[in-house]
Order: sequence, then C-alpha cells, then structure tokens
Amino acid sequence: MYSSDDYNEGGYESYGDYEPHTGDPQYDLEYDRSYYQMPDMVKKFLVYFRNMITEGVTFEILNLYENTFPKLTEQFFENTPWPSEKEVAPVVDNDHVFMILYKELYYRDIYARVPGGPKPEQRFLSFYNYCDLFNYILSAETPVPLELPDQWLWELIDEFVYQFQSFAQYRSRATKLSEAEIEALNTENKAWSVLVILNVLHSLVDKSNIKRQLEVYAAGGDPDSVAGEFGRHSLYKMLGYFSLVGLLRLHSLLGDYYQAIKVYAAGGDPDSVAGEFGRHSLYKMLGYFSLVGLLRLHSLLGDYYQAIKVLENIELHKKSQYSHVPACQISTSYYVGFAYMMMRRYADAIRTLSSALLYMQRTKQLFSSRSYQNDQINKQTEQMYHLLAICLVLHPQCVDESIQQVLREKNYHEKMFKMQYGDLGEFETCFTFACPKFLSPCPPPIEPGSNYGRDAVKHQTQVFMDEVRQQKMLPTIRSYLKLYTTLPLAKLAAFMSAARGGERDAVREHAALAIHLLCFKHKMKNVVWTKGPSGLDGKFQSGSELDFFIDNDMIHIADTKVAHRYGDFFIRKLLKFEELNRKLHHIKI
Amino acid sequence: MAETMRQTVASILKSIERYNPANLQTLERYVELQSRENTYDLEANLAVLKLYQFNPERFNPDITCQILLKALTNFPHTDFTLCKCLLLESVVENETISQIKYLADILEQCDFAQFWNRVHQMPELCNRISSFHDSIRKFVCHVVGITFQTIDKNNLANLLGGIDDVTLKHWVKKYGWKDEGNLIFIANQDENIKTKNITEKIEFDHLAPLMAIL
Repeated sequence: MYSSDDYNEGGYESYGDYEPHTGDPQYDLEYDRSYYQMPDMVKKFLVYFRNMITEGVTFEILNLYENTFPKLTEQFFENTPWPSEKEVAPVVDNDHVFMILYKELYYRDIYARVPGGPKPEQRFLSFYNYCDLFNYILSAETPVPLELPDQWLWELIDEFVYQFQSFAQYRSRATKLSEAEIEALNTENKAWSVLVILNVLHSLVDKSNIKRQLEVYAAGGDPDSVAGEFGRHSLYKMLGYFSLVGLLRLHSLLGDYYQAIKVYAAGGDPDSVAGEFGRHSLYKMLGYFSLVGLLRLHSLLGDYYQAIKVLENIELHKKSQYSHVPACQISTSYYVGFAYMMMRRYADAIRTLSSALLYMQRTKQLFSSRSYQNDQINKQTEQMYHLLAICLVLHPQCVDESIQQVLREKNYHEKMFKMQYGDLGEFETCFTFACPKFLSPCPPPIEPGSNYGRDAVKHQTQVFMDEVRQQKMLPTIRSYLKLYTTLPLAKLAAFMSAARGGERDAVREHAALAIHLLCFKHKMKNVVWTKGPSGLDGKFQSGSELDFFIDNDMIHIADTKVAHRYGDFFIRKLLKFEELNRKLHHIKI
Repeated sequence: MAETMRQTVASILKSIERYNPANLQTLERYVELQSRENTYDLEANLAVLKLYQFNPERFNPDITCQILLKALTNFPHTDFTLCKCLLLESVVENETISQIKYLADILEQCDFAQFWNRVHQMPELCNRISSFHDSIRKFVCHVVGITFQTIDKNNLANLLGGIDDVTLKHWVKKYGWKDEGNLIFIANQDENIKTKNITEKIEFDHLAPLMAIL
C-alpha cells in the first residue's frame, strides 16, 4: 500500500509525460486508474464479503449487499467504477463464484451510475457474466451450495431483464451509433437475444418446479413434497419465482399481454388474481399490520393482556414467502394491472392497481430507508396512479377512499377531468408516461432513418388509442343518463345533437344514438375474474357504476349511489389526536 | 383430426419450443384447420404472431389475416386487441390487414349496419372462415341480450345483417326470446339492472377501543 507520500512522488513523476485528456470522462477515469491502489477498507470488505458468501450467512450478506456496498461506493468510488476483475481476483483467491457475483454488482453499478450508459463491450461482458452465473446454477447436477438473500435474488432477475431492455433500446438507436459500435453489435449478435433471455427464465422456472410448488401451496399442501431436489433449495425456489415475474415483465414489454397474464396465472396463483400479492400478502400484510395496530392500541389502553393476546395469531398465520420483497410485489402489480387495462378488463386492473397502491400507502415506512430502491418505486407508484386514473375514466367505479383522496389532491384530478371531456391528447400523454418501455424483439434493419424502439411504443399507444377512440362518446352519454331514471331515446338523441350544435336530422341522430348505446353496453361489460387459479378466467360482468337497459323506445337507468364514508376517517383522526396528546404530555420543558 | 392436432400444438406451446421457428409450419397448418372446421385456439394463434414478431422474414400475411378474422369471430372477447398488439409495426401497411382492422373497429363500436355492408363487399375474404357470419351474429345477439328488454323486430333483423323472417325466427328461438308481433321480448332486465345504494357500515368492534380512549 502506498503511503500518501509515495503516491505524490510517483504521481509527480508521471505527470512529466502527462498525456492530454481524451475528453471522454470514461477513458480519463481509466487513465487515472493506472495510478490507483485499492483502499484497505475495500480490500477487507471484499474478503469479508466473500467469506460470508462461502459460509452462507444470509443476513450478513444482505447487510453487506444492501448497506455496506452502497456506502463504500459513495466513499471511494463516487466518480469511478469499482475495481476491475483483474484487481479483485487476487484479493479473493480467484474464487470463481464470488467473482461472478462481484462482477454482477460491478456491472450493475456501471449501468446505474456511469453517465451515458455502459460501453458496448461492457454490455456484452455483463451478459456473459450472467450466462456464467446461470450456467453455474442451472447445469449443476445437484443444487449448488450458494445462499443469497431474497432481496438480491430479486434484484438479480430484475436487473437481468432491465439490462436486456436497456440493450434493446441502445440497439434501436443504431443510426446514432459510431461505426465501431455497430461493428461490435454485428459480431456479438447472439448476446442479449430475446430467445436467450426467455430460455434462461424458463429454465429457472422449470428447474425450481415453482409452478407445481405454488399450486400445492395454494391447495394447502406442503410444497416441499413436489419440489424435487432442486426446488426444495431456497436459491432455486426464489430464482424460479422471480423468473416468473421476469417473464411477466418481458411479455408485457413485447406487447404479449395474454402470455403475461398467463405466466402470472401459471404461478398457480391460488385464491385471487391479485395473487401472491393480493391474497398472500396484501391481506396478510394488512391483517398483520392491523394486528400490530391493535397491539399498539391495547398497549396504549394499558391492556397488556389483550396486547399480547392479539400477537398469538401472528404466529398462526402462514407468512407469505415473498411478501418481504416489496419491489417484487409492486413490479408484479404494475405489470399485471397494465396488462389487464390493455385487455379492457378495467375492473380487474382497478382492483390490482388500487390494492397495490393501498398496500404501499400503508407501508410507506418500509421503503423510506433504502434510498437506492426508492426512485424506482416512486416512479412506478406514479405510473400506477396514472394507469388507475385512465381506468377510472374509462370505467368509473368506487375505489378506496384514501386512493380517491390521492387522485383528488395531486394533479390527477385535472388530468381525469380532461380525459372525461374527450381530450385524446391527455389520454395519450398519460399512457405514454405510464406504459412500460416497450421493446422490439428483433434487431432493427441496418438502414438509416428507422427509429425502431420508438416504433414499438408508438404501436402499443396506437392500439390503446384505438380503444379510447371507440369509446369516445361514452362519457357524454353517461353524463346525460346520470340525470334521469327513465329517458326516451328521442329525447336523448335531441340532447346529443344540441350539444354537437349541428343541423337536426332526427332519423340519423336516432340511428347514431342507438349505435352508441349498444357500444356503451358492449364496452362496459367485460370479463372480470371471480375465482379459480387463472387470472385469465372470469365472467362477463358490468361493474360500472351506471347501467341501463332499453325497453323499445325508453331507456331505463340504474345508478349506484355511494354514501360518504366518515367512519374510517374519524377513527384514524381520533387515534392520531390521541397519540399527539399523549406525546404532548410526555414533553418536559 | 382437429383433436390430435390440438394436442400436438398444446405440447409445443407448453415449453420453450413455442419460440422455435421450426414449429411455425405446424402452427400455420393449425390456423388453417381452425378456419376450415370452425374451431378456435387463441393461444396457438398468438404464438404464431409471436413467431412472426421474432422472425420477420417468416411473416405470412395470409395466415395473419385468417388469425385476425378468427379473432373477430370471438367477440365480445378482446382477442382482436391482443392480436393487434403483437402485429409487427411494418405489417400495418398491408391492405387486407387494414381492411380487417377497420372491420374490427366498427364492430367494436357496434355499428352493425356498416359492418354487414362492408362484409358483403369482401365475400372472398370472409367466406374463408367457416360460419363467419353466424359467429358475428352471436356477438350481435350478446349485445342485444344485455341492452334490450324489448326490441323492434325490423331493427333486430337489420342488426343481424338483414336476415329474412325464417332465419330471424331461428335466432329468436335459439336465445329463448319471445315474438310479440312487431316487438321481440328479450328478457326482463329489471332484475339485473337496478339502482344500488351503498351505505357505510361500521362494526361495533372497530369503535369499542375508541370508546375507551374518549
């Protein structure tokens, strides 16, 4: 290790034949690197990290992964990547597995922090590193002796899909790339191919036997009984499950919503489409938190007996295996909700999205500590609110009061208002903001002028906007119907034409109205999931607030009237006030 | 024949084989079988579109048209939208496909008069799908069934594509509707569609702890 004096001396020497900066910050960093020595603290960290992984101490691995690594990044590598493979390998005795895992973090860090994104060769090296990792895990004859925290496993799969997405976007900008970059793309044409990604995810699902496990779990059986040698192993189980979520995401990105929901459903999702999330965690978590709430309440009341008593049930509840990785749940709900919306299953989309948002509202404190995950979660939350807003405009229905409140308070209100009045531009803006970054699965034709990735987004937007355009008249009709319980067809036709301000032609107006009314009924009656393992199943229901039928020339209207809910609000405020009051009493001046 | 084919295809679709372009020929034959024998398999058809998406050089406009027309026959399900999402962006320019997309668009808007008008102008296309017209009539009956309590007889005949009295009787009978002279009685909708009032209910258990605070 250099002392600071040594360093200065050496530095001084080399400043003599000082090369001019290349102007590219990344190359300059590498230039600096040759004068760089790994700090002791980092060395110690690497050795310790490797030992913990070898010994499989998952809670400590999680701590190093989640806290120490970002901290060291901030301290030592704020403007540079982590030390390269060559520098690290000797420190950890060339430990093969550790090096793969280290490189996973190394490249992920580059993807996340280096401005302008990774260079092509870094993208390929990262890809081959993932191949090494998955080969190691998948080609083993017996389960590999590796244990990683679930959080890491989730982010591993998530990152794998993300880097694929990032590569596809990078490739789609072919016209802006230099010749060297295009050359690199052409020689490495196997890397980051969609088939490889699908293959890896499917293999992980198969190897872990996760589908069967979830099925049996749902049926109340013991998943271990069918898991097989690999599936019993937590590494394989979790990777299998997260791969399902990865597939869900990938299919959505490619616009294959049917497969997306199907993969999700094949997750053996037992009791509800909201699935692992809805049944196993949302309700469970909510139940869990309300029990904790009761515990607190009882404690406040000095009733410790009751306080302890409510805790009994927590032990009895089977805890969901996946509920402790919130990013996984949020991601799942986002993509499921989106796919439902595209399938015009608004009721299902609204249920999925609002229960996820509700869950996040009530567990905010869970996310506050981990800053590196926060940005993504916040972005996704906002996207989910946008999706919900779109769905509620197209399919007005009741949602939870606290969700309603967010939609009222933030600027969603104005957006929803505009959409209700048929502002197609607003629909498109909201959709483009909220939709995933769609991908084109094939490399673009190497010809100038084509902007391939953008086309994929445009295409999906087009499909969505077609749907919106078909429904354009419905909000107007709804607003008239809301005012009546019965209304003659002719009268409504007159209203509609008056609003349009054109010349009157009773026969044509009548015919046009009849078409719109049929369209209204058709669009508002959609498949809604009721029961069964598959999220694709369901029955035709009309879940919209307003409904009607036509008796020859007379429209009969049925509306849903919802009384305001005060109870929940007051209960919460009372508790808050009581707590504030208690705190005030404790303040000593 | 159709059954064995269905099983072969189902086994392809189960695994990673669904992305193997070598299976495209089998899957395409299956699409043609569906058109001929009036069977339907959305999942297989989506797999075909997916393979075109991954291998644009294998794109077959004729098969794509059949898949899209088959999706029309499964209204009110949103199969057509799902297929549309998987179409290659470059395919959108194909003339026949645009025509079918237009058909779907007016069908989605329930402009049945115009739909039939269009269909009659392109007989060679629609006749390739066996029972195409009757499948669409089923959808019309579905929409009529959820919208009307009673409907004018001529109006109904027009919605169904200007069918004659005998055919109309057949459809009325099939759905259990009643012929009442000039009107057709569909169903008593009063029971299904009525005003709902949702009021708040607070459980005593929720309030009890609060009582203690106050």
